[in-house]
Amino acid sequence: MKPNHESASQRYTLNCRMNQEAAALERLCRVVRVRGFRISRMAMESTGDTLDIALTLEGSRPVAMLQSQLEKLHTVAGVELVSDTMARSRSA
Amino acid sequence: MNGSQHILAAFHRHNISTVFGYPGGCIMPLYDALVDDVGTEHVLCRHEQACALAADGYARASGQLGVCIATSGPGATNLITGVANAYMDSIPLLVITGQVPSGLIGTDAFQETDILGMTLGIVKHSYLVDDPEDLPGILEEAIDLAQAGRPGPVWIDIPKDILLSEIEAPAPARTEAPPADCPEIGPALAMLKSARRPLLYSGGGVSLAGAEDRFRTFAEVSGLPGVVTLKGIGNAGRNNPNDLGMLGMHGSRAANKAVDECDLLFVIGARLDDRATGKLDGFAPNARMIHIDADAAEINKLRPAELSLRGDLNAILAALTDAIAAEPLAIDAWQKQCRTWHTTGGFRAADNEEPLAPITGPAFIRQLSGITGDDTVIACDVGQHQMWVAQYYQFAHPRHHLTSGGLGTMGFGLPAAIGAQFSDRTRTVINVTGDGSFMMNAQELATIRRYNLPLKLIILDNQCLGMVRQQQELFYNNRESQIDLDDNPDFVAMARAFDIPALHIERTDQIRRGIETILAYNGPMLLHVAISREENVWPIVKAGASNKEMIDEPRKTNSRKEQVA
Repeated sequence: MKPNHESASQRYTLNCRMNQEAAALERLCRVVRVRGFRISRMAMESTGDTLDIALTLEGSRPVAMLQSQLEKLHTVAGVELVSDTMARSRSA
Repeated sequence: MNGSQHILAAFHRHNISTVFGYPGGCIMPLYDALVDDVGTEHVLCRHEQACALAADGYARASGQLGVCIATSGPGATNLITGVANAYMDSIPLLVITGQVPSGLIGTDAFQETDILGMTLGIVKHSYLVDDPEDLPGILEEAIDLAQAGRPGPVWIDIPKDILLSEIEAPAPARTEAPPADCPEIGPALAMLKSARRPLLYSGGGVSLAGAEDRFRTFAEVSGLPGVVTLKGIGNAGRNNPNDLGMLGMHGSRAANKAVDECDLLFVIGARLDDRATGKLDGFAPNARMIHIDADAAEINKLRPAELSLRGDLNAILAALTDAIAAEPLAIDAWQKQCRTWHTTGGFRAADNEEPLAPITGPAFIRQLSGITGDDTVIACDVGQHQMWVAQYYQFAHPRHHLTSGGLGTMGFGLPAAIGAQFSDRTRTVINVTGDGSFMMNAQELATIRRYNLPLKLIILDNQCLGMVRQQQELFYNNRESQIDLDDNPDFVAMARAFDIPALHIERTDQIRRGIETILAYNGPMLLHVAISREENVWPIVKAGASNKEMIDEPRKTNSRKEQVA
């Protein structure tokens, strides 16, 4: 069952800071997928014990829900929503 | 100390006295260390899935951390269903698996699986230890994390060489987490006072927060009518006249009616699961909502809350109780309406007074509830019997009702009952199961016998997968598909093969004697109860439909004068 407050597909840019660990990126990507978003662009930089990941995402569910699910991950230090725009139609 | 000894030392520091496991190649160093250990009781189950489910049952019944152990490869993969079960119901679990030696990881070595990758979606967190010196810190962090906030399973995968490595790093000092604050309750209080038809909606989060007593006091002092989720059954105790019981797919008409009519839904420790809410569009259509939950991600996930509170649930409930005691809510008319609904629209399957009549599930569970004491723990499996227990057994406490709520794991009940019995060997623990579920972990009869647990087993045997059959009957034009279990083994003979005495009953007049016989027996005993294949669980809401579209038992729909309008 999908939440009843879905809207048209939107594009978001999220910046995530994570601790380095064995499955950091897998953990992050899994949550994005399961919570109904698609990664269209991803950039990662490793600095010491920290990973900085910039994600461009598309999805029709509320991004706040994804943000709170990502923040639940034990190794996520912070998630920042940088921008959101209407996604282009895939058929366009 | 080597890595294995560090694990046992962590158990001792955290008062972990019982663990459930099964040995094998890569976890052998830990089993070697267990030989010299004093203070850890290792329970050998007969399948790793049962180890995880027993640890889950131990945690549910006791409120303590459950621990399970397995080897790499198939040992680890066999744990997965049990760990997923704990994850879905927010049960604190520490899972320890052996892994192939560090140098062999990634070579497709014997009994190598990427268990870290496989289990990312069913754990609160997980670790693959790649440096022996990290192990003590990881153990401390994992044990705390599993129990903190919203609990859940934490998995540590440890290569065999690290279990054998001498580790110099000391165990880190424990740091107590600061107590959670009590948020400002003024706005919630104002919403409660302004509501004319406020309704409590509580779930498993009440007992997970250790707030059972405060919740009960709050419910009694406020007089708020309440509904519970499957995992919240028992929150209100046995005798709260304002408790309308379980809502949702197999909830009472009274509970669903109250949700439909309320103007304020006060959700405490519940996640608005689809089996409880039905179609969200039609759920509590006239209600504002206050949501209290330990997990921020649950707030606004499925339905926006006008007000949310996070913090120490005990403190929040205490503050609300004090405020309402000083100035009671004026909800007499609403209370009266809800009690009327409860009288006329509660669970009301008729008892058959005819002594020679076949036994029905509801009649059996109602008698079981009347005969057993307030401290009895009931571990269910999944299916029709699970819903009859939820509907007709009067639980005094939520930790007395062990049920697989989120995952719906057939085979949960028997190992969960074993775990519950290990948490308190003096308590009466009963596994109420169906013939389908029982066969999913029947090997654990050997565990009961090995440890001479005084568990009682009750199989409600309808010779089929009753819940699937029921849905095929109602929603698939009665086209039965793969639900017949009429070639079940002789369960009485099967129990006896494990040296567990057993009894068979099939008539209504045999129910009481059957239950009393197994309860009086000093040791494990099985009661095999033959019930009708055609019995359904009523009422029912079709998956995806609104709770307002609840279907009553057809032959009673037209004649039930007392049906709620």
